[in-house]
Amino acid sequence: MNRVSVEKKILGENDQVAARLRAALARAGALSLNFIGSPGAGKTALLERTLERLPPHTRAAVLTGDIQTENDAIRLRRYGFPVRQITTAGACHLDARMVETHLRDWLESGIELLLIENVGNLVCPTSYDLGEDAKVVVLSAAEGEDKPLKYPGIFRKAELMILNKIDLLPHVPFRADLARENARKIHPEIEIIETSCTTGAGLDHWLHWLAARAERKKAESFAEVAS
Amino acid sequence: MHEMGIASSVLEAVHKELHRHPRHRATKVGLRIGEYAGVDRESLHFCFEALVKDTEFEPLDLAIESAPGDELDFAYLELEDKEEAPV
Repeated sequence: MNRVSVEKKILGENDQVAARLRAALARAGALSLNFIGSPGAGKTALLERTLERLPPHTRAAVLTGDIQTENDAIRLRRYGFPVRQITTAGACHLDARMVETHLRDWLESGIELLLIENVGNLVCPTSYDLGEDAKVVVLSAAEGEDKPLKYPGIFRKAELMILNKIDLLPHVPFRADLARENARKIHPEIEIIETSCTTGAGLDHWLHWLAARAERKKAESFAEVAS
Repeated sequence: MHEMGIASSVLEAVHKELHRHPRHRATKVGLRIGEYAGVDRESLHFCFEALVKDTEFEPLDLAIESAPGDELDFAYLELEDKEEAPV
């Protein structure tokens, strides 16, 4: 027997494409966010409410991933920003190459904000770097507050947790305090914003976070160019 | 659910690695998978076996070591000389 050490990342090729994307986004000063959550957590609704409230001059673009249908892209196009649907034809996650392929001319046309809605799934999208600045995990009050404990991978990697559908709290046994506690057990520094895309609660807080994060990205890119 | 994709990436990496060892065939692939990697081992074994079956790679063992984080690494490859391989 002859054992040779390889020591490579299994998803090394994805990581290479993601690194290329990240560099291109940094040159453009564009903030890229990867939204991950279960089917029905409200990812598309959150993006709709976001696009609705963005200052109209914002150069934002959306990629939305699903196994089948253009439904989400059709919903998201109503707000006047460019939207492209990625249908994965069976794959349970987006990978960096799909993002790169669908971005096409967007970077040259000067986008400053790229919102990527991943396929509804709390597990598989976690492993695939899409060149994003941050992963945002969307958890809803219609789910269980133990989701962070059951699916720790994504809660560990996400910079922000959106706790959505808080308008349902009076009607469901979901305990928001327990959900926050569980998320912080897995990731003590995770930021948490509570929202309802139905009543609009918390959306100002979220948009403030988004604007601050985008400003930070621009400043970082500027500093890099200047150095 | 994405274990088939992971298994397929592993085999591609094995294929590439074997280019560097043209006189050898692979007998075992060693992976290191973290507890937060979001990969189900049993499912990965199943997919790996399904992909290896009836190919030039067969027989090929898969060994998975645990790790504490989100590691998803191809750690090592065990080889045997093609000449010495039992026919």
